[in-house]
Amino acid sequence: MAYQVSVFLENKIGHMERITAVLKAAGINILTMNLNHTTGGWGIVNLLVDQPELAYGQLSDAGISAALRRIVVLPMEDKPGSLDGLLRKIAGAGINFTTAYGRSGRGTAWFVVDTEDIPDAETILKSAGLEILPDETVYTLD
Amino acid sequence: MYWEKELETLPEKELRQLQVNRLNITLAHARRSPFYGELFGRNGNHPESVNDVKGIESLPFTVKQQLRDHFPYGFLTLPQKEIIRLHSSSGTTGNPTVIFHNRHDIDSWANLMARSLFCAGVRDTDVFQNIVGYGLFTGGLGFQYGIEKLGALSIPAGAGNSLRQIKLMRDYGTTAIHAIPSYLTRLYDVFREEHLNPQKDTRLRLLCIGAEPHTEEQRQRIQEMFGVKAYNSFGLSEMNGPGVAFECEYQNGLHIWEDAFLVEIVNPDTLQPVPDGEFGELVMTTLDRQANPLIRYRTRDITRIIPGACPCGRTHRRIDRITGRTDDMFILKGCNIFPMQIEGVLMKIPEVGTDYRITLETVSDQDTMVIDVEIKKDCFRGDLAFLDKLQKRLTHLIRDEVLVTPVIRLVEPGSLPKAEGKAVRVYDTRKR
Ligand SMILES: [Zn+2]
Repeated sequence: MAYQVSVFLENKIGHMERITAVLKAAGINILTMNLNHTTGGWGIVNLLVDQPELAYGQLSDAGISAALRRIVVLPMEDKPGSLDGLLRKIAGAGINFTTAYGRSGRGTAWFVVDTEDIPDAETILKSAGLEILPDETVYTLD
Repeated sequence: MYWEKELETLPEKELRQLQVNRLNITLAHARRSPFYGELFGRNGNHPESVNDVKGIESLPFTVKQQLRDHFPYGFLTLPQKEIIRLHSSSGTTGNPTVIFHNRHDIDSWANLMARSLFCAGVRDTDVFQNIVGYGLFTGGLGFQYGIEKLGALSIPAGAGNSLRQIKLMRDYGTTAIHAIPSYLTRLYDVFREEHLNPQKDTRLRLLCIGAEPHTEEQRQRIQEMFGVKAYNSFGLSEMNGPGVAFECEYQNGLHIWEDAFLVEIVNPDTLQPVPDGEFGELVMTTLDRQANPLIRYRTRDITRIIPGACPCGRTHRRIDRITGRTDDMFILKGCNIFPMQIEGVLMKIPEVGTDYRITLETVSDQDTMVIDVEIKKDCFRGDLAFLDKLQKRLTHLIRDEVLVTPVIRLVEPGSLPKAEGKAVRVYDTRKR
């Protein structure tokens, strides 16, 4: 099971830096991230990091509201049309997700999907013919 | 079971007669002060004495502004030589309000305070840590003298420095604490930061909370945190300070010591008495104070008399927890709103942390109420839907309570500025 760290973020100057300062001090590397915010003045930043448990612990100790959320990382070829193909397969599996983001590397790209609220997401995606990145490689995307 | 059995269980009729006798003595004392001397002398239709407690309604009210206007000695009945202490408000704007005590007054207050503590279950075997400011603030010395009178071991710790408070508690096996409620929630956070649990790592057996309006929900939270009962204390500096009213073991309202204070509840607009059970402004007359008696003093605190007898057997009536002050109330879009109503809603929601802040703003010519609400770190699950639902739920609950739709802003725990002393909850930035 792979995890991202989701962090509550007030929409205020300097607030994001509070988070990155904690990660920097703990020597944690951010592999990719995305940021959602609402009209209510707050948002959530989702972080895929190399050491999610450590990041979660350090952020919590610093008094920051953080949570570990289950994810799957789907690899694809880094070329036009790859994401379209991937999304068709996900739709075919009947899975609907609210948080997803990506990253591309040398010839390969990755699609990160938050599956915390979807039980059996991995099994369903696998049976729809999707390749899921094994946990040990999730935290070393390169 | 009682500190003064006979006085505390005096039958209703005898208690009223005692009040009449003491009121007449008080009126005689009061006439010796410049203020009341002139007030009662100038206006010949004020009676010299009354025959029953209802007779007090023929006398004029006293308000805080008069205390300020006649600062410092206008209400003093005795030569300064007789006075042994004063307590005064901070008075950041205008004259402070000051109350003087002679030896009798200090003894009487200490006894009321000892009676209050005994009523809440404090005994001479307790180790009592008083975690409020000493000095001019009445909560420090008021409790101090009461604890000593009762015979418990007092630790005059004063306010602040949570690590030192915890060390004192552990070094001396503190069994009872007095503090303001917002401080206790902060103290609990420090216990947790130190990886200590007050339920296991202290010998606490009861708490006294007061000097700051709070809700039943906040009390419940404090009781859960510390695993012991928290008894409500009520007082105000014009009526000595603490020791005016206190909860007994039943925690069903605060017995107000009627041998020392004559209590009226009036409608703050019409100033007419309201029936028992109905909320109004608390009006008090001192019955056992010589140096600085006050007649029909408008406290501006909103409460009610709780009808019926208390199972503890004390005949002194009970007042409800203070739901607000007439001057805390604000008016928004024509609705009268007390901050306590909003706190009551927030503290019922488990995901809400201990602090909140109400800001009244003018946004494009519309007055709005913005409430910053701390979310509890442990409740955070990392998804937007959860926060969205919480925000909508709070908006609806508060609208149902105060009839105005608030703007709810969720904020990080610990991000609201911490107030020293009494927590300031309302910031009014509206354009007038
Ligand atoms: Zn009782």
